[in-house]
Amino acid sequence: MSIEKQDNPGLLSLLPDQGMKDHIASLRYAKMIQHALMPNPAMLKGMLKDYFILFLPRDIVSGDFYYAFCTRQKMCIAAGDCTGHGVPGALMSILGISFLNEIMQSDVNLNLNANRILNLMREKIMKALHQTGDYRDAQDSIDIGICIIDCPTGKLQYSGANRPLIMIRNGELSEFKPDKMTLGVAPIREASFTNICIETKPGDSFYLFSDGFSDQFGEITDKKFKYKHFKRIIHSFEELPMEQQKQRLESAFNEWKGKTQQVDDVLIVGFQL
Amino acid sequence: MMKLKAFRIRNFRSIVDTGWQNISPDNITCLIGQNESGKTSVLESLKVFYSGIISEDVLRSDLSLPEVSCRFTIPKGWLINITDNPGTELKELLSGLTHLELTRSWIADLSSVINVSGEISQYLDSLEDAWRIYLNDVTIKLDEEMISIRDLETTFSGLTEEESDIRSKLSENEGEKFGFWLFWKKPAEVENQKNIHFPGLKNKLNEIKKQKEEINEILLKKQLIKRAGEKWKKLEEKCTQADNHLKKISFKLEERHQKMTLLMRPIEDEEDTEWKEVLYDFRKTRSDREIRMAEIESHIAFSGYIIDGSTEEEAEKMVEEVIQSYRSHLNSAILGKKYFEYSPVFELFEDFGSLLPNRIDMEDIISGNVNVEGYKAARNFLSLAQVDYSFFQQPSSRILKQKIENLNHTLTHNFHDFWQQSIGRNNKIHIQFELDHYNASYEGKAGKPYLEFWIKDEGERLYPKQRSRGVRWFLSFYMELMASANIRDKQIVFLVDEPGVSLHARAQEDVLKVFENIKDKIQIIYTTHSPHLVEINKLHRVLAVQRDDLDSRRSASRILDPLQLSLASPDTLTPLQSILGNPMGGEGFSSKRFNLIVNDTGSFYMLNAIILLMGFTGKVCVIPSTNVSSIPLLCNIMMGWGLDFSVLLFENDDEIQIAELLKNSVFKTETDTRELIIRMPENFLNSEDLLSTLDFKNHILQSREGITVPNSVYIREKELPRNFILSRFLSNVKEGKIKPTDFDEETLENFKLITGVFGELK
Repeated sequence: MSIEKQDNPGLLSLLPDQGMKDHIASLRYAKMIQHALMPNPAMLKGMLKDYFILFLPRDIVSGDFYYAFCTRQKMCIAAGDCTGHGVPGALMSILGISFLNEIMQSDVNLNLNANRILNLMREKIMKALHQTGDYRDAQDSIDIGICIIDCPTGKLQYSGANRPLIMIRNGELSEFKPDKMTLGVAPIREASFTNICIETKPGDSFYLFSDGFSDQFGEITDKKFKYKHFKRIIHSFEELPMEQQKQRLESAFNEWKGKTQQVDDVLIVGFQL
Repeated sequence: MMKLKAFRIRNFRSIVDTGWQNISPDNITCLIGQNESGKTSVLESLKVFYSGIISEDVLRSDLSLPEVSCRFTIPKGWLINITDNPGTELKELLSGLTHLELTRSWIADLSSVINVSGEISQYLDSLEDAWRIYLNDVTIKLDEEMISIRDLETTFSGLTEEESDIRSKLSENEGEKFGFWLFWKKPAEVENQKNIHFPGLKNKLNEIKKQKEEINEILLKKQLIKRAGEKWKKLEEKCTQADNHLKKISFKLEERHQKMTLLMRPIEDEEDTEWKEVLYDFRKTRSDREIRMAEIESHIAFSGYIIDGSTEEEAEKMVEEVIQSYRSHLNSAILGKKYFEYSPVFELFEDFGSLLPNRIDMEDIISGNVNVEGYKAARNFLSLAQVDYSFFQQPSSRILKQKIENLNHTLTHNFHDFWQQSIGRNNKIHIQFELDHYNASYEGKAGKPYLEFWIKDEGERLYPKQRSRGVRWFLSFYMELMASANIRDKQIVFLVDEPGVSLHARAQEDVLKVFENIKDKIQIIYTTHSPHLVEINKLHRVLAVQRDDLDSRRSASRILDPLQLSLASPDTLTPLQSILGNPMGGEGFSSKRFNLIVNDTGSFYMLNAIILLMGFTGKVCVIPSTNVSSIPLLCNIMMGWGLDFSVLLFENDDEIQIAELLKNSVFKTETDTRELIIRMPENFLNSEDLLSTLDFKNHILQSREGITVPNSVYIREKELPRNFILSRFLSNVKEGKIKPTDFDEETLENFKLITGVFGELK
C-alpha cells in the first residue's frame, strides 16, 4: 500500500509536496535495502521439497523479516516480528538480520542449538539497545521462531520467542509452543530459551509466522482474525502445493481485511521437507 | 535494635576520609594491611565514636578535627517510638527509615558532640535553613530601617540647623527694621526689603517646621524599631567580642596540638593550671557565645514583629510562636544524644586487660572493685558460668563444692569446643575455679572467702599466670567475647586488634571458630596479618587498608572494600596470597587424592563450586597456582614430592604458552602414559566460560546487561575483581543459595564435561 493512500491526512497535509516525495523516495530505497538484506528465497530451492514466503508489509518498510542460512549439513529458517512496524520496526529487523548473520556465519557457532542462537541474539539485542533491566530502558524487542534442520538426519530443532511453530504431518496439525519471552530485556529476569527437537518425516510441512495475519481486523466483523482461525485456515490448505497455499492465504487475508487498514506487517514462511 | 552497617572516619591519625565502608553483613569484618597502614586507627576511631574520649595524638598534622560516623540498621518505624513529639513531617520521615546515621565530631578542646546525620539531619537542616532565611530577611529589613531612621535623624538635625539659621537671620532683620525706626534711616528702602525677604524666610521657616513635624512623627513611630535595632547592634557587638576571644583561645589550643603532633610526644605537664584555665575559658566562651547567638536570633525575630507594627508585648508573644514554627524543638544534637543511648557498645579488646587472676577476694567481686587485679576477667568468668553472687550463699559447703565442680566441668567442655590444641597428643587443658577461705596467717583477711583459678592439664596444675602467653591470650579473649555475648540488652561491636599473634596457626583458626560461634550476637571487626585468620572463601568480609602513597608513611590511609581488593598492593594482600596455595582450610596438596593444578584462585573457586553443584565424589584436589607463570614451579614441587597430579589448561594465550613450556621443559622426562596436561576446548578461555552467558550474568555478575563476548573477556575488559566474584559464587553454592536446577542446559553440559575430565583422573 502506498503511503499516499493511507488515512493520515493530518500528517500528510503538514508536509510540503516536494518533501513528501523525497520522503517516500527515501523509504522506497530503504525498502530495497531491507529486501536485499533478507535472503533470496531461491537459495532454499533444492534444500527443501517445497516452500513459500508470504510477506505483506503494512508500510513501505517492514518490522517483520524472514531469514534463511544453509550449509551442506544444516539449514536455518527463521521468521521474526519486531516491535512496531514501519521505520522503527524496519530498523529493529535490520538489527535482527545482522545479528542472525553474525551468529550463523561464525565458525564458533557452527553447531549451536536453536535455543542458544536465540540466547545469543538476545544478548546482542540487549547490548545494542543498552537494556539492563532498568525501567527506563528502551523496551524494543523481537519475537521470533527459528528452525535448524540437520539435513542428513532430518532432525529439526525449534526454539521460539513468543512465536510458535505449526507442523502438519499426515494431515494432522501440531503446534509447538514458544517460550513466553522476547529477544530483549524480560520484565523480571531472562531465562534460557527452550530447544525442541523434532524427528521429521518426509512430507512434513512447517509454518513460521508473525502475528500480523491473526491480528488483522475484518472489514465486516470489525474483529480480529484470531489465531485459532489462522491455524484452521493453514490446516485447510495443507494438501495444496506451497505456492498455491500462499495464494490462498493472501486472498483470504485480503478478503478478511476488505477496505480496512492493515494493522501490522504479515509474514508466513511455510516449508515442506 | 541498632546494628552497625557502615562507618566513615575523617581526620583520625593517618586517615583523612575513608568514605562510607560497609561492614560485612554476616557480622565478621576483617581489616588487612601492612604495618602502619592505619588498621588499628580504624578500630580506635570506632572505639572513640562510642567513648568520645580522644587525646591529641590522634590529630593529624594539619590539626583538622576528627569526625566518626556510623550507620546503623534499625527496624522500620522504631525511631518513632523513641523520639519525643517528632511533629508530623519528622514523624513521617522517621517512620520510613530503616537506617540511622550518627556522627561524633570533636572540637578544639577535644570535647565532642554526637549529632544525628544523614536524612534526619538533612530534614532538620532544611528547617534550620528556612529559619536562617527568615532571620536574614528580617535582618535586612532591620538594617534598612536603621539606615532610614539614621537618614531621617540627619535630615532632622539638618533642618534644625537650617531653622536656627533662618531664625537668626530673621532676628537680624527685625533688628535692622527696629534701627530704621529708631534712627530714621532709609525707611522707604527698608520697607521694600521687608516686602521681598521676610515673607520668603518666613515661608521657608514654616516649611521646615512642617517637615520637622512630619519627620518627628515618623521617628516617633519608629522609636520602637530604633530601640530594637540598637539592642541588636549591642548584642552583635558582644557576640563579635566572644568570637574574637574564641579565636585567640583556639590559637592557643592549636599551638598545643601542634606541639603534640609535631613532636609526637605527650605533653609532660598534665597538671598545668594555666592550661586548665585556658580550657575552662574556651568552654565558657563557647557556651556564652551560643547563648548570645540564640539571644540575637530571638531578638531579630522580635524586631521583625516590631517592624510590622506590633507592640513590644505582642512581639514578645509572637516570637515564641515563630521560633516553634520554624525550628523543631529537636535538633541534630538532641536527637543524636537520644539515639546514641541505643547505640551498640563498641568494645575494644585489650590483650591482657582481662587476664584471669590467680586469686580474687569475693569481697572485691561483690563490691565491684574494678581496680583490683583481674576483676574484669573474674567477672567475665562468672558471667560465662552464669553464676551470680547468690550462688555462693549456699549454706552447705559440700553441695557448693559439688556445684562448682559441675560448673568447672561444663566450662572446660565448652572451652574445648573452641580450643582444640593439646599439650602432647591428648593432653588437653582444663579451666577451673575454687572457693576457699583465707587462713589465720592472712592478717585482716582470715576466714574471708576468695576465688582461686587454675588452668590444669594431666601433668600440672598451674595458676593462669604460669601458663603460656598463647593460652592466656586465648582464654582471656574467649571469656571476654563469650561474656559479652551473654549481655542481652545491647548489641555489641567487638573490636579486636590482631587477635592471636602469639597463637599457633591452628589456634588462630580456633579464634575464627569463636567468631563464627558468636557472630549472631556480636558484630566483630578485627585486624590481622595472619593468613589463618582470613577465610579465603569469605572475601566479602575483607577490607584492605593501605596508604595512598605506598612509599610514604605520612600519606593518608584509605580503605578498599571487597570489590576493590584487586586494586590493593601485593603487600596489603599478603595474608590472602599466603593462603592461595591452601584455600580449602587444610586440604592443600594431597597424597591421597589426585591433585589438579589450575591457573589461579578464581578457577579454584569455580571448579570447587562445580564439584559441589554436580555432587562429584571423586578424589580430586584442586590446587590453584598463584598465577599461570607459577604452574611449572608447582609441577616441579609435585614431581619432587611424588604426588599424582595433572595441569588443567584453558585456551588463552598465556596457558597455551605454558602448555608448550611444560611439554618441552618440565615433563620431558615423564613417560607418555601419564596425561599430565589436560587442555580444555578452545571456546573455554578460562574457567568462568564454563557458564553460559545467561548463568554468568545471573549467578556471578548479578546484572542483566547484554554480553556478547566470552565471560572471561568480559571480566578482563570491565576490570572486574575476578577472585572476589568467583569466591562469592562458591560461597553461595556452599550456602545452598545456588542449586544445579538454577542453570541452563548449556552450563550443565559444560559442568558434565569438566566433571567427566575429573572422573578420568587416576
